[in-house]
Amino acid sequence: MTEEILQPDISGPVFNHANGRLLMPETRYWPTDMWKSPWSLPTYRRGAAVLAGLITGGAAAAWFLGEIGPRLAPVYSFIEAYALAYGVPAVLIQIFWTFIKGGILLLAPLVNALFAVWWERKISAHIQSRMGPMYVGWWHGVLQTVADGIKLFLKEDIVPDCADKIVHWLAPVVVVIPAILVFAPVPFGNELVFADIDIGTVYVFAVGGVSVMGIIMAGWSSGNKFSLLGGLRSAAQLVSYELPRTFAVLPVVMLAGTLNIAEIAGFQAGYWGGIIPRWFIFYPVVGQVAFIVFLIASVAETNRVPFDIPEAESELVAGFNTEYSGMKFALFFLSEFAYVLLSCLLMAAVFFGGGAAPLPFLEFLPSWAWFLSKVLILMFCFLWFRWTFPRFRVDRLMDFNWKFLLPVSLLNIAAGGILIWLLS
Amino acid sequence: MIEQIVFYMLASVILLSALGVVLLPGLMHSALCLGLCLAGVAGIFASLGSDFIFAAQILVYVGGIAVLILFVVLLAGSASDKVTRQINEAWLPSLLICAAFIWSFLRITAYFAGITAKSAAAPTVKAIAALLLGDYAVPFELISIVLLASMTGAVLFGRRKAQ
Repeated sequence: MTEEILQPDISGPVFNHANGRLLMPETRYWPTDMWKSPWSLPTYRRGAAVLAGLITGGAAAAWFLGEIGPRLAPVYSFIEAYALAYGVPAVLIQIFWTFIKGGILLLAPLVNALFAVWWERKISAHIQSRMGPMYVGWWHGVLQTVADGIKLFLKEDIVPDCADKIVHWLAPVVVVIPAILVFAPVPFGNELVFADIDIGTVYVFAVGGVSVMGIIMAGWSSGNKFSLLGGLRSAAQLVSYELPRTFAVLPVVMLAGTLNIAEIAGFQAGYWGGIIPRWFIFYPVVGQVAFIVFLIASVAETNRVPFDIPEAESELVAGFNTEYSGMKFALFFLSEFAYVLLSCLLMAAVFFGGGAAPLPFLEFLPSWAWFLSKVLILMFCFLWFRWTFPRFRVDRLMDFNWKFLLPVSLLNIAAGGILIWLLS
Repeated sequence: MIEQIVFYMLASVILLSALGVVLLPGLMHSALCLGLCLAGVAGIFASLGSDFIFAAQILVYVGGIAVLILFVVLLAGSASDKVTRQINEAWLPSLLICAAFIWSFLRITAYFAGITAKSAAAPTVKAIAALLLGDYAVPFELISIVLLASMTGAVLFGRRKAQ
């Protein structure tokens, strides 16, 4: 008797040609039975076609544009020659050019936040069998984040009565400035780097670590015990996880023999046996361990689930940003997504060969397209984790870092040394 | 010209924040000013072209030591910290000691003040690595032994407290 109820009719849904809708047999349960034969659904087929069209169109556009860096170089030299002919001093041109480049670089975290917030909401919705934002914008709620941004601009800026006013005002600034500065030495493709400095890796970890000061300031100055606890937890967590994160990159630095991120990415060009790319992730054992440690520590560094105890809503309301509203809250949000983008860029450059194509015959696409697609795939993993893993407990989080990740990453450095010795 | 503008801006940031460390009421404000002061020193290093020392200064002092001080203030602070005066009766002797230090520093730096570098420093980590692990390997390793000893001591104290 019970078996009859538990085994529903899974003979495909009936398509009603009169109104274009699906007629579902009453014994079919949504969504488990519905997805047993997904290709019979017109919406599924249409979605797959749209996705394939987007990927093909993006690839075609990338192929048409080609490498951006060499294309823009003549534009710059033309403007420079034009300005010099009119007697503008060369120093002024340099300063102006630096500002323009900085403005372009500033777009990276801003556009990323606009896109990633929408994407995260869509991914979370589909993981939970919902639709997510659907109304604002023309297609699947693409303008939802823009509308949210306008809403945040219009919101009242609330400062609590017992807050330390100056520190409370400065905290979002201290969080967001390093989150933008940190992109300076990160490449976005071959020859697409703002500041090609020799110590890029150290710079990224150093400047990225300053944001924790802003989080502590936010937690302390709000005059709220939940904020204070959130700030404390965040300080402990970020300082701890910075160590395995830095140590995970050390074997790559040792192999490549440079701290420059663009040069590390360039070091991984080429293929073993003409098939397997020489990316660091494919170096036996050392590469995989380093990548997994870096991935875990990066998720922890960005305060995201499952490591989001600084803002665990079931324990601390919203942690260090409880007392923030409007654009100040948006700045914390912006810096979180900027650090997610930074982690993905670093992983793509350090472990996945930067702008190198995964297979030799795919090299017709420019490097920035490969870089961007690797970053997007890694960012999908970040958003995916959020809806997959439950939150850590505070003490287990610390135990996991100090008793597991740190020893593993230290051993991995030794293994990297042995690997270099074997390769030489 | 630009170097001088940058230097004087950074120097004023360093001096003002250093005064803030000493004079501001509240432990937290002092600790935050200390972070700003250390970041300003890092800026001086960067403007002198020694980028590795700049990154190390930010990494160790701003991202490490200043954050740990803030952490201690959060853990051990009390409500009266917000209004406690930073200056006690010993301000005159400490001022005199500071004056003596400034005078001796001026005497030391006066010897080097006339010397200018022949060329700008070429920022590279390889030269630093060659010096640290080549010519100065013994003092470098000695420092690491000091760090190891202090870490072992910290673990020992922590264990005794737990029992």
